Amino acid sequence: MKYILYQLKKNPLAIIGIAIIVFWVLAAFIGPSVLTYTHTEMDSLNQMVSPGVSGHVLGTDALGRDILSRIIVGSRSILTVALLTSMVSTLLGIVLGFSAAYFGGKIDQTFLRMMDIMMAIPPLVLSMVVLGILGGSSIMSLTLIVSIAFIPATARVSRGSLLTCKNNEYVDAARIRGESHIYIMFVEILPNTIGPIIVEATARFAYSIMMVASLGFLGVGLQPPTPDWGMMVIENKQIITDAPWAVLYPAAAIASLVIAISLFSDFVSKVLIHEQ
Amino acid sequence: MNFTFMIIKRLGSLVVTLVVMSVVIFLLVEIMPGDVAEMILGQSATPESLEALREERGLNDPVFTRYLRWAGGLLQGDLGESIYMRGVPINTLLWRRVGHSMLLALTAFIIFVPLSIFLGIVAGVKAKKTADSIISFLGLATMALPEFVSGVFLISIFAVQLRIFPIISVIPIGESVFSNLDILILPALSITFVMFGYVSRMQRSSMIQVMNSDYIRAAMLKGMPRRYVILRHALKNAMLPTITIIGMNMGWLFGGLIVVETLFAYPGMGSLLMTAIRTRDVPLIEACVLLITVVFAVSTLITDVMYGFLNPRIRFQGDVQ
Amino acid sequence: MNSSILTIENLNVYFDVFGGSVSAVRGLNLTLDHNESIGIIGESGCGKSTLSYTIMRYLAPNSRVTGKVMFREDNLLEKTEQEILAFRGNRIAMVYQNPYSSLNPALTIGFQLDEVTRFHQKASKEKAREKSIQALTSLNMGDPEGLVKRYPHQISGGMQQRVCIAMALLCQPDLMILDEPTTALDVTTEAVILDLIRDLKDKYAMSLMYISHDIGVINKVADRIVVMYSGEIVESGPNEELFAHPHHPYTRALINCIPREGLVKENFRLNTIPGYVKQRGTDEGGCPFAERCSMKVAGCIERYGMREVGEKHAAACDRAYAADVADSFAKLKVSRSKQHADHTKPILEVQDLYKHFGKKRKIYAVNGVSVGVERGTVLGIVGESGCGKTTMGQTAVGLYTPSKGRILFNDTDISVSWKKRSPEMLKQIQFIFQNPGRSLNPSHTVEQIISRPLKKLMGISSREERKTRIIKMLEQVGLSEEYLSKKSSHLSGGEQQRVAIARAFCLSPGLIICDEPTSALDVSVQSSVLNLLGDLQAETLAAYVFISHDLHVINYISDYIMVMYLGRVCEYGTREEVMQPPFHPYTEALLSSVPEIDPSQKKRKIRLGGQLPDPAKKIRGCPFAGRCHMQIGTICETQPPPLVKFSDTHSLSCHLDFPDAVREPAGEATG
Repeated sequence: MKYILYQLKKNPLAIIGIAIIVFWVLAAFIGPSVLTYTHTEMDSLNQMVSPGVSGHVLGTDALGRDILSRIIVGSRSILTVALLTSMVSTLLGIVLGFSAAYFGGKIDQTFLRMMDIMMAIPPLVLSMVVLGILGGSSIMSLTLIVSIAFIPATARVSRGSLLTCKNNEYVDAARIRGESHIYIMFVEILPNTIGPIIVEATARFAYSIMMVASLGFLGVGLQPPTPDWGMMVIENKQIITDAPWAVLYPAAAIASLVIAISLFSDFVSKVLIHEQ
Repeated sequence: MNFTFMIIKRLGSLVVTLVVMSVVIFLLVEIMPGDVAEMILGQSATPESLEALREERGLNDPVFTRYLRWAGGLLQGDLGESIYMRGVPINTLLWRRVGHSMLLALTAFIIFVPLSIFLGIVAGVKAKKTADSIISFLGLATMALPEFVSGVFLISIFAVQLRIFPIISVIPIGESVFSNLDILILPALSITFVMFGYVSRMQRSSMIQVMNSDYIRAAMLKGMPRRYVILRHALKNAMLPTITIIGMNMGWLFGGLIVVETLFAYPGMGSLLMTAIRTRDVPLIEACVLLITVVFAVSTLITDVMYGFLNPRIRFQGDVQ
Repeated sequence: MNSSILTIENLNVYFDVFGGSVSAVRGLNLTLDHNESIGIIGESGCGKSTLSYTIMRYLAPNSRVTGKVMFREDNLLEKTEQEILAFRGNRIAMVYQNPYSSLNPALTIGFQLDEVTRFHQKASKEKAREKSIQALTSLNMGDPEGLVKRYPHQISGGMQQRVCIAMALLCQPDLMILDEPTTALDVTTEAVILDLIRDLKDKYAMSLMYISHDIGVINKVADRIVVMYSGEIVESGPNEELFAHPHHPYTRALINCIPREGLVKENFRLNTIPGYVKQRGTDEGGCPFAERCSMKVAGCIERYGMREVGEKHAAACDRAYAADVADSFAKLKVSRSKQHADHTKPILEVQDLYKHFGKKRKIYAVNGVSVGVERGTVLGIVGESGCGKTTMGQTAVGLYTPSKGRILFNDTDISVSWKKRSPEMLKQIQFIFQNPGRSLNPSHTVEQIISRPLKKLMGISSREERKTRIIKMLEQVGLSEEYLSKKSSHLSGGEQQRVAIARAFCLSPGLIICDEPTSALDVSVQSSVLNLLGDLQAETLAAYVFISHDLHVINYISDYIMVMYLGRVCEYGTREEVMQPPFHPYTEALLSSVPEIDPSQKKRKIRLGGQLPDPAKKIRGCPFAGRCHMQIGTICETQPPPLVKFSDTHSLSCHLDFPDAVREPAGEATG
């Protein structure tokens, strides 16, 4: 605990990052209840008005929808999906990566071959094609598909960290007192590899935001009327010269969240992996 | 000898990967809701004409037969016909687009590879100093920044405010991309951001690791100047892991291509794939995804070979006295 | 002209760390004469490496240095970064502990050699290459022209260290600093390298500063020994003088810690030093050893400093203890009865054991070993790396299964993996690993670590009962109850190994396999662990298989000794039989290579040439042929050596003709 505070003092950027994350979480929870406009309401008198005009704090888009409301409501879905995705993909990664590295030999070979094949399609292309073909994304399908697309990355981290621990003699010591594989993997090894895995999971959170936003931008993310930050950018791109706020504020929202999480992830790695 | 063997082995696994991928892609599209014949003829088609078309195109054949037909066509260089564009051969559509995408990827590559390696090395050498703090923060900030986000910021600065570059990157009809090279800059820069974040961070940590190694200490204590030690002793070792990292991140780069091509309306393969998905153009989706897989696989293979070639421990593997 | 090469005056080195600064070297004065060779000895954390890097001016940025380091007329501490380059590698050269990691893996050996003369002597490419080849030739390395084109990973560890030495010699430096250059090497290779260093010193009229934790190694190369403790020099003097009349209590305590020829567990308890080396802050003064010293008086804090105690002999303790050295040694003498258990039934019997690894490239790790361990005795297995001793031990506990042959425990066949062994069998055979930091789970507490086997294998389900047993066991290994809740990563190496021993003994096993249990520890900790293992063995009558590369440790603890080479038994017998002639040539070579802490001991010099053969090759004849100094002809290479029996217990495998021995033809060819 003392060490965390010491590191916090040394990393003012981490404090900023954490503050931004807290801001967005609060926005997602209580934001919608304090808004003047709803996210679907079309204020036909105030189309493409600049920030501040008649209570539209961040202006409106071409249909007269309030940008602020759409951003605030949009934070809910992106946070939910990204959080779920980073957890699901990390857990799947632990299970697959641990089993492969622990049992080694043929199992590991098969695992690596499978990962090779999965990695042959870039994760964004994979998610985009699958979601596009299935049509009509929901939080469930989005989470599931992005998680699967991330498995090669998360499983590799788990596999690697187990491999470095596997050769420690406490694993042999556990074997020669007849412990089960599950016990060895999760009681003996996991506590010693959890650091890098948590770091990877927080970084994965940032990548999930990136991925979900990009999918929304490509139009295969959550479908209207749910406001989606990525989709707001592409919808309003045509009016970037006339109403730049309609594009730039959602983009800034994404950037702030992604950068904040990256800063947080860097801080976590400094605390957990006593780097240099 | 061993090294050649390794390359052959990698080529073999590449072929296996491609075969498996082609099956997966084929099956994936197979489960797509909707009927191809209906898509071609439209809602108003009679059941008889639908059936006739199915028969004519062999759509009633078992999945396996259809896969073999498709794969056989691929091997002969026949990618099939686009449905949405009424039977235009995909070959005539695709390759121009692929060329455009490659050109864009290459432009991005030329910008981000030297930039991120150079700054990563600077950060690693000056670890914990001001230069490092700035570079590290930039890397961290751009590490997971979606390409379209950096893209719209670039647009609003360079295209809307300063008017140096165009807002969209379309090629006027009848002109070649080479006479419009300025349209490449903003899309390439958008890709550069995220790649820079990842690669420069990796380069920095590998540089720090190398600089703390015993052999760098030994070289310094032989009385070599620091600059020389960094250039001759550290660089080669520190860049080896980066090569692999770049290879693995080519996937992100291709994903990024789709995003920026959509943002800038650039006529590349990514935007073509987007259109294909939107219009549910089955053969076109299959062709695009397969092509991306091939290009991605080949680029990882190239980085692997480069890695092996630059690393004597792999090049002379098993050649121990 | 001043004949001294290096004069260090009142040197202090501090490191700023989280929450203050610590002193790594303090008030250090040292003079090194032209063509003199000194050895700096100390346990880990005593500041000996910091000293060498201070001389080279290569310290971490969080360090502060005060004092003077005069190299002839130049104060190295006042040189600029640019000026210091002319000294490094040119007039002061350094050789490091780990040759493999000290050579750049991406550059050829030739390139790394050439650059030294290209920089310091502005030699042309051709000239530099010529010099590099000359240097390699002067170190008796075959085919230097081929060698320069190779990469470091393509040559053996011994060769790599010679390359590093050649590199250091290129500019014929005035001073060569060697930081544990042989610690990573096998003892026979070490002996060859040490001879080489000694010869080179005279040939090039260099001064040497040799840093090591091993007095025996230093005896072989140095004329004068400097003992460091906690960043300070506590004693310095000529080898013989220092060994015969150590003045400082630390020096004496250290010497008595080390197993040596003639010391065995029945007649001697090794000395132990209570406590551990403390990091000292900048403001603490007085004798750094006072806290652990058995002779401490009030004056140890105020009246402290180096003074002459004999010719060239200085010590930092002002009370002459030289007189009671003999006493302090005598106090350690004990007389333990030798356990003579029944010879009828061995507790562990290994029958013609083979273990091969790999499929395509087969590694022949163990090739036809037969041996028995009698109840209540210690079998010591000694051999260099790659001799198969660890594989044997791991096969016995079931981490590997034999490729061929059988292992019997109390007549039960246990040639199966741990998965197929009964809990009773798992309980009966325990294993103590080399590295306690790695054999105890760093995220578990001591209680969890010892408790788990009690629950799993002894079936004790009550937590209270387990706790009572653990506390009792901890007391037996010299740890108190408060260790129960400590995480193993917060313990020192010695404490960790005690916990590992407690974990093994709390199951009352019949056999314990100790795989180099003291190799990762400092000598003062090693001695306490060896004492503990000796005591526990006498108490519990458990049998040990004690695996080590250190002949002195093996000699101290074992009743029977087996010498292994390349997966085969060279010689087996009781301790006395193996340690005295007639010898197997390899045993003889090992004995002659082992460094001795008593510098007056002169031994026959046997130096092995060549390297260990490729373990993936099948060997038809004697595995030691080719390196053997007694080789009698091609028969050694083509035919497996016969078993030569001298008594019921003593036998060796050799083609040599020993009188009064029974020869049995060799068994079937290996493989």
